[in-house]
Amino acid sequence: MTTTTAAAPPRPRKAMDSLTQRYLVLIGLIVIASVGFSIANDNFYSLANLGILLRSIAVLFLVSMGMTFIMLTGGIDLSVGSNVAFSGGVGVITLTTTGSAPLGFAAAILAGMAIGAVNGVFIGRLRLSAFMVSLATFALARGLALVIYDANSINVSNTTFLWLGGQSWGSIPVVIPFVALVFVALSLVLYRSTFGRDVYAAGSNINTAFVLGRRPERTLVWVYVLSGALAGLSAIITVGRVSSGQPWTGLYLEFDAITAVILGGTSLFGGRGRLLGTILGVLLYGIIINGLVLTGTNPYLQSLIKGLILLGVVLLDTLVQRRQAQ
Amino acid sequence: MTERLDMLGIGKSFFATRALDDVNFSCTAGEVHALVGLNGAGKSTLMKILGGVYQRDEGEIRINNTPVEIAAPADAGRHGIAMIHQELSLIGELTVAGNIFLGKEIRHKGTPFMNKAEMARQVRAQLDRFGLALDPHRPVRELNSGEKQIVEIIRALMSDAWLIVMDEPTSALSEEDKEMLFDFIRRMKAEGIAIIYISHHMPEIFGIAEDVTVMRDGVIVLSERIAETSEDHVIKSMTGAELDQFVKPHKQITGKVVLSVDGLSSPGNYDGVTLGVHEGEIVVLTGLRGCGAPELAKAIFGLDAGYGGEVRYLDKTLKPGRGPAVAVREGMGLVTENRDKNGILPPLSVRDNIALPFLEKTLKGGLIDGARVDSIVAKAIRDTSTKTSSPDQEIRFLSGGNKQKICFSRWLDEDLKLLILLEPTRGIDVHAKADIYRIIEDLAGRGVGILILSYEIDEVLMLGDRVLTMYQGATIHEYAYPHFDKDRMLADMAGAGHTT
Repeated sequence: MTTTTAAAPPRPRKAMDSLTQRYLVLIGLIVIASVGFSIANDNFYSLANLGILLRSIAVLFLVSMGMTFIMLTGGIDLSVGSNVAFSGGVGVITLTTTGSAPLGFAAAILAGMAIGAVNGVFIGRLRLSAFMVSLATFALARGLALVIYDANSINVSNTTFLWLGGQSWGSIPVVIPFVALVFVALSLVLYRSTFGRDVYAAGSNINTAFVLGRRPERTLVWVYVLSGALAGLSAIITVGRVSSGQPWTGLYLEFDAITAVILGGTSLFGGRGRLLGTILGVLLYGIIINGLVLTGTNPYLQSLIKGLILLGVVLLDTLVQRRQAQ
Repeated sequence: MTERLDMLGIGKSFFATRALDDVNFSCTAGEVHALVGLNGAGKSTLMKILGGVYQRDEGEIRINNTPVEIAAPADAGRHGIAMIHQELSLIGELTVAGNIFLGKEIRHKGTPFMNKAEMARQVRAQLDRFGLALDPHRPVRELNSGEKQIVEIIRALMSDAWLIVMDEPTSALSEEDKEMLFDFIRRMKAEGIAIIYISHHMPEIFGIAEDVTVMRDGVIVLSERIAETSEDHVIKSMTGAELDQFVKPHKQITGKVVLSVDGLSSPGNYDGVTLGVHEGEIVVLTGLRGCGAPELAKAIFGLDAGYGGEVRYLDKTLKPGRGPAVAVREGMGLVTENRDKNGILPPLSVRDNIALPFLEKTLKGGLIDGARVDSIVAKAIRDTSTKTSSPDQEIRFLSGGNKQKICFSRWLDEDLKLLILLEPTRGIDVHAKADIYRIIEDLAGRGVGILILSYEIDEVLMLGDRVLTMYQGATIHEYAYPHFDKDRMLADMAGAGHTT
């Protein structure tokens, strides 16, 4: 993962001390968690497990980066998990009916973008609550997934389609450099394109963004479409990982993504945060969950621990913010 | 018992900014202590420390010579200190008595039901004590701002407050209400209440205060008995130097028409307005609040869709409902009247706040050229003499005047053709005002057409090349510099001689 962080583009603002501090804390925690788990379990530090760990959180990386864009605008997308199942279904069905992997890829990504566009139009154009709209599409996309799959999973054997999610170079899964590539591309978009600046502007004060002629309503639509596209990509990776398309895939993914983004220091209220924080947040979160599995913690406790992590981070952030306000 | 407050050696920093340095401030029961200073001088910070909103970094607060800790607003209340806020904290749906007894309602013995009669009686007794004619049963939403302040103060007094802090209490009051408030303040003094009175208005301060303290840049520069100082002296201490005088340069308007508006109408807002702005010309719209001028200006910019008539800008017709993006792309800019609502991007840096409207012009190979942004931002900061520790500073930490300058500076690039300004100097201090007048004239000198809405007659007279008075949505008269007639303008605004 060090290659990715080293490739981070120049930071947009030098004076974001509090965020920089947070990243240092996160890196510290990542080191502590890794050391702790490797003491508890000899397998943790093996190269093989590192590959497994990174592959298991590859999807979370992608979805969380999309979620970061959305949360920077002050929004939220609860539909990403369902969207991964739905767009995966569309991709797999297209693949099995046409036999063409490129068509399957395109179909999955377009399906993901379509759900994103629904979110975006209702939230950006019609100014409905992001929470409510994406809660509706959360149910809607899952329902569509169950309908297309007829509630059964579909096995996939097309090697091209499975390559991205399933192939490894030695012990490095192909998907890891791919995630790094997406990170670099999205960083360029967020920090060096006008769209990226508009994302921050829309989340800082949507009225001002409008007065300044920035068309924030369009920005919002595209942010949700981007999140949908990343859900489509994630669907392809998920199918590749398990060699089948499953209607119940991506369950709780929105929860994991929101937790990782918040952990990475992105503000709940928009306008503040960076992709690097999200990467660190996903890493830390992934290491903790993976470590719990390896150390044989009761799997039923996982959800409980996830809940505690989210509650703890939100509590800590809010307390720190209140102190800073003084 | 004489109550006495002493704040000794108070210091406070926000990040790198020293907001207060070794501030000593005292007040005594039965007296009014006026606290004056320009925006950003530290008055509010000092009062927020007293009110428990901020914590001091250094110093000591004593009440009757006993050190006290004020860690939260509740502590201030317990020590008898009450803050009367500009943004009032009353509940409109409750009555006067209901608001005053909120949270400590009197109940009928042994029941959960409120004894409204008893509450009203107690409030009545307090109001009588100060000679105030106010009905305890009236819902607060029906009261004007002066009466609401009185309710807040009575509430504080009934919670045993002995020190009342009033922040610009007259800013929203009519002359009549001001008199009522001053009477009330005099009665409070007689009852042994101490008052800290924050204001810019010299006549008020010299009419009502015993002491005056002037702050500048976080330190006390003057603290005197009113009898031993003068208005001139206080003003000089406030600004530090003699006021920056702004003199309107002489010029000839020869340029082309930038904007022409023909028969613009929007029901209930403005009706059949026709006006034009030439290159380098400053056109000022003025009237009373509610005259329709801000709505008109917003429609021209594209913030308002529901109008009839024609807006022609640079020989092109701008259609209703196009949104401001079209105008901005064509070199039109707008500074809104409420910068916190739709003028600034609070969590973002000064750089991002300035650069946003012209990001497209800095693109190199599809990406933003950071170096170009930096140089434009540096120039904008310099040209407007904005005070910021660095372009990376978050805008929300800047003072009102500096925020306003940033709202200006983001439009100052070479493609600007028309700048619309709504109340350009609202809520900013005299220094920033002079800077802003200078920026406006510089722009006009460069050939930018400028359309200003202002409610301040002195500002109107000082800036305008042409002045249009408005009343109830219609333009009344047009005046060209130097043929300004202040009295006639005021009469126009008030609708004198206007037949509807």
